[in-house]
Amino acid sequence: MIDRMTLQRWLYRLLFVGLAGLIIFVRLVPLDIGGGRFPGPDVLLCLTFAWAMRRSDYVPVLLVAAVFLTADMLFQRPPGLWPALVLVGLESLRARAAVSRDLPFAIEWAMVAGVLAMMMLADRMVLALFFVDQVSFGLSILRLIVTIAAYPAIVFLSATLFGVRKITAAEADAMRQLA
Amino acid sequence: MAKERGNSEDYVRPIRRILVGFLVLLLLGTFLLWRIDSPRVERFRAALVDKVVPSFDWALVPVTKIAGMVEDFQSYARIYEQNQELRRELQQMKAWKEAALQLEQENAKLLDLNNVRLDARLSYVTGVVLADSGSPFRQSVLLNIGARDGVLDGWAAMDGVGLVGRISGVGDQTSRVILVTDSNSRIPVLIQPSGQSVLLVGDNSSAPPVEFLENPDLVRPGDRVVTSGDGGVFPAGLLVGHVAQGSDRRLRVRLAADYERLEFLRLLRSHGAEAITDPGAMVVTNPLPPVAAAPATPVEEASE
Repeated sequence: MIDRMTLQRWLYRLLFVGLAGLIIFVRLVPLDIGGGRFPGPDVLLCLTFAWAMRRSDYVPVLLVAAVFLTADMLFQRPPGLWPALVLVGLESLRARAAVSRDLPFAIEWAMVAGVLAMMMLADRMVLALFFVDQVSFGLSILRLIVTIAAYPAIVFLSATLFGVRKITAAEADAMRQLA
Repeated sequence: MAKERGNSEDYVRPIRRILVGFLVLLLLGTFLLWRIDSPRVERFRAALVDKVVPSFDWALVPVTKIAGMVEDFQSYARIYEQNQELRRELQQMKAWKEAALQLEQENAKLLDLNNVRLDARLSYVTGVVLADSGSPFRQSVLLNIGARDGVLDGWAAMDGVGLVGRISGVGDQTSRVILVTDSNSRIPVLIQPSGQSVLLVGDNSSAPPVEFLENPDLVRPGDRVVTSGDGGVFPAGLLVGHVAQGSDRRLRVRLAADYERLEFLRLLRSHGAEAITDPGAMVVTNPLPPVAAAPATPVEEASE
């Protein structure tokens, strides 16, 4: 029989895919055609990182890679590069998730902001190295700032709406024994 | 804590790390493949979009419509002012309509006098906008017509008034239009009264700038911008917009197409211009028989 924890884990993974689909769908709806708009936050990325910092077992690598590769394909971006960077960022955050469990939120936020900034820089550097056309640096910075600013809101929403909260040390022990 | 981490994860962690590394390499490989063999990957992408987005169709259309209704509803709030405004505009339009009718008649007469034959093959097929690019840095829309409707890469897309973009990427049921505002869009255009050829360069802003302008003094804000037809991709003479000076003192083009309401797009079937290779055939279409060459000799004699 499936125990409660495994069932919950898979339900949350399913929820992640559902939310990713919803975010992609909303971005595809043809409402904001035409240039010169303020770039919105990368909600999908915020969501992934927020969940990774809280319950890293809800966002397995394969799932994240698949979701971001699909998004790349649908959003007309160079496929593969951004998902690879997301995975690297995700893993570096995951490694620090246990450490940040007892730290205040501001430090987690700063950590995520640092990782996001590094990802953006790496993305721009690789694209420049391969002579791919890219947007102006100012727009990228703007998007980075908006994304970082949106992170606490998404953390709050995923905690209140979906109950994705940090696990306590006791829960962590229980999970480790099960696993 | 450090102790607990020891036992079960000792062998899990390296395996996990290898898996993640492998996955990252695979993704970077995809990126390299795209960089090396872009057309193949782009075809795959078009096929994928072709499969995925039309299945969203049932949801995309109502959501778009509802958002449009909300926007319209906001404008109902000031319906009286709008009504007044529209009446004023209608008055002006009537004057213009009169002028246009007169010009049309005059034009018809002149064309008749000149025996001009317009290109009858300039027909079009109309599609509905399904989705946009989804990224704030790429300006493109997806239409619900594709290869099965005969759409080809490179066709011009217009709304009722002005140029919107060109087809780039055709799936079986969908096709993608790169808007002229996209940073990858370069379109040869003509600034009308002065007749200067320039390049319209998209830069993700709503009013793309012009480049390679030879003599900026001849161009004034308000000048008409039309496609020049250079390069043989677009038909010549499609209205693009009007010149305006941006806040950064660059000359930009205010687009004639209404980007706020891209709903139906019209794709112009363009048939590649026939290339003339034989110089003789260009000058004389049906060469005169040898007998007719005889009158040439008296001329030679006269010159002697």
